[in-house]
Amino acid sequence: MSTLSPDQIKSLEQSRQRLIQLTHSLGSLITSLNQSDPLPSWPSLQSQASIISSNLLTLSTHLSENHDLLRSISAYPSPEFPTRTHGNTLEQLLRTKLDPRVEDWVGRGRKSDNNNTDMGLWGTLTSNSAAGLSSTGQGLSGEGNVARLSEGDLAALWEWAPVEANSEARRRNWGGDFTLEERERGVQSVAAGLGLRRVLEDDEDESEEEEEEEEEDEMEVVGVRKSVTGSGFEFDIAAASGGARQEGVAPVVPLDDILRYMTTGIPPR
Amino acid sequence: MHELLLFASVPSHQHHELLQQLAGLTAMQPRHRLERRLIFKAYRKPGLVNARGGTSREMQGADLVRLNKMLNGGMYYTQVVGPISGADFGSKPSSSGDLDATMSGTDETAGSSYDYDSQPWKLEFRDIPEAGTRSTITARLTASATLPKGDIVTPMSAWGYSFVTEYVVEGDAFIHNDIVIFLHRVLQYPVHGHEPHEPHEPHEPRRQMPSFRDLSPLERTGSYILQAAITVQDGSNQELMRTASQHLFGLREQLKTAVRLEHADRLSLDTRAK
Amino acid sequence: MTDHFSLPLRPVIEKRDSSDSLPGDIAQINAQWGSFRELNEVSLREKIEAEKDKDPWAEEDEGDKEAAELDSSERMDLLYKRRAEIIQFALQAHMETSFALDFVSLLLSKHNPRQAETSMSPFLKTAAPLGSLNSEIVNPPPRSDASLKDVKSVSRGWRLQNFNNAASKLLNAGSRLETEVVAETKYWDEVLAVKEKGWKICRLPREGQALGVQYGFLEATPIFRDRGLAALRRADDGRLVLDKGLIPRKAQGVRVRVKHKGHIAGCSKVYRPSQDAESIESRILQARDTLFEEELFHELIREARILGSQGVTTRQNLVQVPVCDEQEILLDLVDWDQDHAPEETASSERNVLADAIAHSIRILLTYAHRQNLHRRTQLPPPLAPKRRPVPEYQILRPIMAYLQHKSHIQWLESLLSDLRRVLESAGITCDFHATHFSSIGTLQPSNLIPKVEALARVFLAPFESTFSGTLATPQSSFRVRIRTNPAVPPFGTFYEIFVHLPQFPDVQPPSHIGLQDEVAAVITHFAMLDIASTISLHNPPNAQGVPGKTGRLSWEVAYPHHGELLAVDSTGQSKKMKVNLSREELTIHTYFSSRSETFTRPIVSRSSTLRIQTWRPDLKEPGPSLVEFVAQASQP
Repeated sequence: MSTLSPDQIKSLEQSRQRLIQLTHSLGSLITSLNQSDPLPSWPSLQSQASIISSNLLTLSTHLSENHDLLRSISAYPSPEFPTRTHGNTLEQLLRTKLDPRVEDWVGRGRKSDNNNTDMGLWGTLTSNSAAGLSSTGQGLSGEGNVARLSEGDLAALWEWAPVEANSEARRRNWGGDFTLEERERGVQSVAAGLGLRRVLEDDEDESEEEEEEEEEDEMEVVGVRKSVTGSGFEFDIAAASGGARQEGVAPVVPLDDILRYMTTGIPPR
Repeated sequence: MHELLLFASVPSHQHHELLQQLAGLTAMQPRHRLERRLIFKAYRKPGLVNARGGTSREMQGADLVRLNKMLNGGMYYTQVVGPISGADFGSKPSSSGDLDATMSGTDETAGSSYDYDSQPWKLEFRDIPEAGTRSTITARLTASATLPKGDIVTPMSAWGYSFVTEYVVEGDAFIHNDIVIFLHRVLQYPVHGHEPHEPHEPHEPRRQMPSFRDLSPLERTGSYILQAAITVQDGSNQELMRTASQHLFGLREQLKTAVRLEHADRLSLDTRAK
Repeated sequence: MTDHFSLPLRPVIEKRDSSDSLPGDIAQINAQWGSFRELNEVSLREKIEAEKDKDPWAEEDEGDKEAAELDSSERMDLLYKRRAEIIQFALQAHMETSFALDFVSLLLSKHNPRQAETSMSPFLKTAAPLGSLNSEIVNPPPRSDASLKDVKSVSRGWRLQNFNNAASKLLNAGSRLETEVVAETKYWDEVLAVKEKGWKICRLPREGQALGVQYGFLEATPIFRDRGLAALRRADDGRLVLDKGLIPRKAQGVRVRVKHKGHIAGCSKVYRPSQDAESIESRILQARDTLFEEELFHELIREARILGSQGVTTRQNLVQVPVCDEQEILLDLVDWDQDHAPEETASSERNVLADAIAHSIRILLTYAHRQNLHRRTQLPPPLAPKRRPVPEYQILRPIMAYLQHKSHIQWLESLLSDLRRVLESAGITCDFHATHFSSIGTLQPSNLIPKVEALARVFLAPFESTFSGTLATPQSSFRVRIRTNPAVPPFGTFYEIFVHLPQFPDVQPPSHIGLQDEVAAVITHFAMLDIASTISLHNPPNAQGVPGKTGRLSWEVAYPHHGELLAVDSTGQSKKMKVNLSREELTIHTYFSSRSETFTRPIVSRSSTLRIQTWRPDLKEPGPSLVEFVAQASQP
């Protein structure tokens, strides 16, 4: 029985920080949900979700790292606590029993593990995956004699899988907005030819990104031709436009000087 | 009449592309235009024009009345514009009867000929653009009238105008509803080779045209000017003027990613002769 | 619970067995009521009622199955329900973490009051003073193996489940992507196929993300021009769908019928949609054609309205154009696939006429389009308060003029040949020949105007035909010019008749004659004058001296315009001859008349007729020729 050491307080303080972050990110999710009708944009929703998820992860890591310490801290009300008037609050703060819904959730995890051990869920996963269907391992009771993975096998699989998945992912070209042929021909002309906006790969370097901007400009031009008075017009005229703008020479005589010459014959300086 | 205008400078490398874009926008093929433009300047305080110039038989009464009005308002620069064709360039004069020219006229283009004496002319009077009110757009009073063919210096001089200089305007015109879009540039005549000590302009319009290849763009990078113009019958009709401006702004919007159409500096279009 | 887990954005979809409802409800009670103490039976009953009405779990399953069939408002409802669920979850989670944060903060407030206070909820700040929670380090009993194992099991269970979920989600996404790629490929292939056929593909003006095909006519009236664009949409399976918007599904077209003497006597060909009507190409074609036909009919109606004075009438869906007394042209817009029974009275000749008109109106509309392009690309006049009106196209007028002109030619031709036969039956030779539509023959090729336009333009200019012929008297001749004006006033057909009669050099008909009756009268009159002069010229050669010396009479024209000739014999007795000419016959009377009577108006009935001779082309026994008759009449 002793009071908390500064180190212990520090680790509690860290818990507090993590909780602040989580509370905050949850709060802002709620705010943005309430402020948008019907829903915030998909990207913003997704980024909020991943923030919350990473906050949860941080908290969870912290809790498990300090598991022994936290388990050994016992909290109790001091005499100053207005137990009589705020008994409910105290109860709420000191509650260690899991919320029934969480309890339920834990139960489901347990059940799912039991299913695995009992019926070889993991063994069926691969066949499941091949079919690409079936959202969970439940409802597999029909398949009685599928292979079952031992705890060790499972651990080995989980160790192997991330590395393998990663190297598999690296083998793919994820920026495939253009075909190889199109790349060789020059991406800009393809984009202009189709009159469509396709974003260039994000792994391109700076200069190419600049070009992308130019390209967008150009396609806006194509758009101009089309968005007139609602009718068609001549659309297939931009074919040669791609290469035309590379090395432009800017006029050296200002427009005003030309106009002055045209008006009065006074030659430009 | 009033004229509302927007201008843009078009670098030469953009010219081809813009032509195509304009063709698409207006759904028409470009109309190629070649014009001789002569600049005249008033040299005396205007008085009532009595002199009828040289050959005014082609001029109609209404034109003459208008001319008088135009040329009597104050001291102005004014333009005389004559349409020409590509075949007019580099050809030997036909009607001048100059023996030397005929002798030396071994040009390939000898089949066609430029006849200065039947060159039609039009007087195009432009006032200095209005100040202030419509600063986002160039607006000015304009008037034009048909002039006698051929020698124009004599009648112009009778009206109190002297020849300043001349140049050629080459370009393509498009019609977009009420708007005339003219993508053009100024070409200058070659400086006479045999008079190197006197590079100045001759004092009267050329009677024959040099080869087109010998013309050089005033703006030496070969850039073009995009001019969008709309004319209004009655400049005092505010509603019409507003409509016309809106049409121009609409075009500016449609072309904004290609070119930036803007009003011109008022003083660069100042036609007053000081 | 040290394993990370993904935050379920969507509640885990799972069959919910009854046993599950209790923990959920307890949690909800905790959240809503604080604790069970606040709960009473009444409020619970209310809650049960509410649950009965709305069970989100049950509806969800249903919603998944039928999502495709839900209409937009139902989808909206569903969306809001889900949104409410998300908010519910988030609030719950927020509340839980707030409790935890409050707990830690209060715990720390004893040691670090200032910092800890900042993260306490306002409620806790009022409820409990800072530092009112003590803490001590205790030695907790070691956790049992069973509980450790349980934690591991739960953790592994969820991990398994989530991996499984993730795997199937990825696979689902993969296969969805695959179908999508297949569909996109199909769609783009079809778009390209359309483009390769030469159609213009473009972005839609007001819907930049969508593609469209342009099949309309740029020079059509704006309302039709703007409809000439259809979106090329992608069906779920990648099929190309032509979204025609305003274009009617049915193929329509303008039908031309010829009504003759009150009966439909001819009808233009019906263009049935091709058998291959399902291909995109043919649907584009059909859309284009129907749009064109609609515009054609629209312009026909517009033009017909200004032709009321010329007898053209319009009804809802019919334009009636009179051609002549017997013939009428009917134009209407019909569905091509409708059954059009051929008219019984139809004749192939009038079918051809109807077809010719059907082709003509289409050619004339495209000509009008070209004119529009021409006008549009001219330097515009200055902006003025009055806009340039769009003139009605010339479609009906040239056709009306053509048909009218043709019927006039036919009429004149038959008049002249009737007269010729009458004269021939009297042994008089005369001839005429006609140049039909001489104006059309004068088409001059020009560099300024494309040939096709020059060709069409001829039909918009006045039509002109000429007839010329010789008469009985040598050197006499006549010429008739017929002009029909299609567009510019004076509308209609006019005749100009030129006559050359050496005997009557001063006599000329009025220059413009519009009525056929008058034309017939004038021409007959001149033929009669000509006959009269022929008779006077036909005096025998020996009769040239003093009249009566040889005993033969010499006829002189006395009253030319009445067709009367006079001859005086040696006894002073005068004889009269009267020539009557009509389209049907030539009649000549001769009779005596006293000299005195020549001063008064000759009245045939008072005189005693000597001879009468009638020539008609249909008489079986040919009578004497005019020459013979005159010779006989010249006997004293």
